[in-house]
Amino acid sequence: MSVAHCGDFRQSYKDDMKVLETRFVRVSVGAFLVLLYVFPLFMSNYATSTMTTIGIAVIGALGINIVTGFTGQISLGQGAFMGVGAFACSYFMRILHMPFWIAMPAAGLTTAAVGMVFGLPSARLKGLYLAIATLAAQFILQYLFIHMEAVTGGSNGIPSPPPEIGSFAFDGDRSKYYLTITIAVLAVLFTTNLVRSRDGRAFIAVRDHYLSAEIMGIHLFKYRLLSFAVSAFYAGVAGSLWGMYTGYISAEHFTIAESINYLAMIIIGGLGSVLGSIFGAIFMTLLPQALTVGTGALAQTFPKIGFLIMSFKDGVFGLIVILFLIFEPDGLAHRWRQIKAYWKLFPFSY
Amino acid sequence: MKRLTASIALAVLAALSVPARAQEIVIGNLADITGGTGDVGKPYADGVKAYTDHINASGGINGKKIKLLQQDYAYKIPEALALYKKFKDQDKVLAIQGWGSGDTEALKEQVAKDQIPYWSASYSAHLTDPAKSPYNFFCAVDYSTALRGALKYLKDNWKESRKPKVAFIYPDVGYGKAPIPAGKKYAEELGFEIVGEENVDLKALEATTQLLNIKKKDPDFAWIGGTKVSTSVILKDAKKLGLRTKFFGNIWSADEGMPKLAGGAEEGYMIIIGAALYGENVPGMAAIKKATNNQPVVSHWIRGWVSMMTMCEVLKAADKAKELNGPGIRKHAEQLKNFNTQGLTAPITYTSTDHRPFMSVIVAEFKGGQMVKKATVELPRKQEWIGF
Repeated sequence: MSVAHCGDFRQSYKDDMKVLETRFVRVSVGAFLVLLYVFPLFMSNYATSTMTTIGIAVIGALGINIVTGFTGQISLGQGAFMGVGAFACSYFMRILHMPFWIAMPAAGLTTAAVGMVFGLPSARLKGLYLAIATLAAQFILQYLFIHMEAVTGGSNGIPSPPPEIGSFAFDGDRSKYYLTITIAVLAVLFTTNLVRSRDGRAFIAVRDHYLSAEIMGIHLFKYRLLSFAVSAFYAGVAGSLWGMYTGYISAEHFTIAESINYLAMIIIGGLGSVLGSIFGAIFMTLLPQALTVGTGALAQTFPKIGFLIMSFKDGVFGLIVILFLIFEPDGLAHRWRQIKAYWKLFPFSY
Repeated sequence: MKRLTASIALAVLAALSVPARAQEIVIGNLADITGGTGDVGKPYADGVKAYTDHINASGGINGKKIKLLQQDYAYKIPEALALYKKFKDQDKVLAIQGWGSGDTEALKEQVAKDQIPYWSASYSAHLTDPAKSPYNFFCAVDYSTALRGALKYLKDNWKESRKPKVAFIYPDVGYGKAPIPAGKKYAEELGFEIVGEENVDLKALEATTQLLNIKKKDPDFAWIGGTKVSTSVILKDAKKLGLRTKFFGNIWSADEGMPKLAGGAEEGYMIIIGAALYGENVPGMAAIKKATNNQPVVSHWIRGWVSMMTMCEVLKAADKAKELNGPGIRKHAEQLKNFNTQGLTAPITYTSTDHRPFMSVIVAEFKGGQMVKKATVELPRKQEWIGF
């Protein structure tokens, strides 16, 4: 069956729970996955490592989308949570001599615990007030990164050893890519299922109308805290992968700018949408790089005004983001749905 | 509009499709033009570029031209990492001129693995230890040595019989904290009394609280390990509060533009500089004057120039020995002995166990809105100071 019904004719739970409904979708998603895995074979290392950063960003963006997009709790601490994950993973590997495969989930759980601590204010605070509370998390954690020298190496940072299987070390661009993209695919799958589960529906209910949700018997505090924990877990995993990607972790990276970057990703991609997290991560990773490379190339061509051209970069970046918010306020995921609808109904759209 | 778009697209295409010619040496330059340290990063990058133009006009590296790929990473580590990958895989650069502590630290392990020599303007002492960072180089005294030199100068000129009192003011970031342990240890050795420590953020707009603490302890000297803006804030607030303390600071804490920022409060401020001042009577100044059309530039510009000059000298030696590759450049850099930068800095020496370029610390002071050189302090090249 390669076409979808135009009404709701699903007759069993199994039908209802299908993620990929038609054969066409199944085939194209399958083809996309294959493409993801053969991609590095014919692309440069530069393109591969860019894809690795996108994979990491997808995981981080999925995390913040769970707490902000699905549960409606604005979080300004995603960058710092990633830092917790990165430092924890490195600590587990270097000091406790855990292999990466244990250290990474352990770092995720550690970050989830930290996320829950900083999610505690959500019991009493909502909206902007909660956002400020999570902002405090960002700064407290940043302070700890610099001062817990035994764990974080203080201001010098610490190395992050590569994951290993037997004698094979994941220290090349390709192996890092495969590891990251596999975890990113798993994260996407998990999130897609999470938001369709009982807990996921509870998240959405809390977001949409917390009073009704509470009357229906949803424990608000529990689910808010849970969303913070899950979100931080993702951040922790993304942070561990970031450490693997750079090989060196420094506190200077996990600043408020990084947190805002992640928030921007899901706003541009689409709040409360798994696909939106992916689009946002791709967009926010590629745009600055495209601008850097583009302005750099222009600057080489016109060396006299080279630096002037480079200085336009941030302005252009801001402009593009603003234009996106004006013309695409529901995010890239919404535009994607419109494109899909257009082709589905082609040529008889109404 | 269409035509404009088309011409921009054409220009981009043209820029992307320029092939690297065989007789070209490709060098990457990670610069901060628009980011948090852009105010000093731009003159530094300008200096790097100017020297490249200068050497290309005067014969290049044994006839080979240098192609300098300057890219702005806006002091953001992910962008620096991405650009580094691009430099390495796409542009196949031989060596890199880097910039700040963020990018240098983040890339330290990778350049060692990929064997890409990396000259930076991050002068952290631990970058001078080849056991830890074999491919990192720079052309100024490291932060710890600078602080030691300043302390030595102050002690040597101390006339009273009591112990001089010193305090340390620095931002709570890697760059600020780096030299403090070394400074404190050396201060005690020299017979200073350490009376206080305060943190002033790099973006601080006032420092009254911290300076009131300092005032209570009444030190004779206070170190400022910040950047231009935070230094000017400290100096202005100190003047307002009537401190009698003499302030001194490191290489990035001030430059020729300071009097404009501090409005007179900088009078008597002592600073460590890393290179000659513009217009100074040294042989190397003629080329700089020509490159800048006699327009004065700040000392950061000159340090960028010297950094590229040193790299080019190493490239020449490596090219002559037909070893123009990463390990070859490192090898010839480590054979550099008393390289004469035409008076712009002290002679530069790197060895395979010590990447400290030199140990002479230049002390300058602000007088009547001008930066004036006071003295050069020569420190011993002590083994135990490497990387500390």
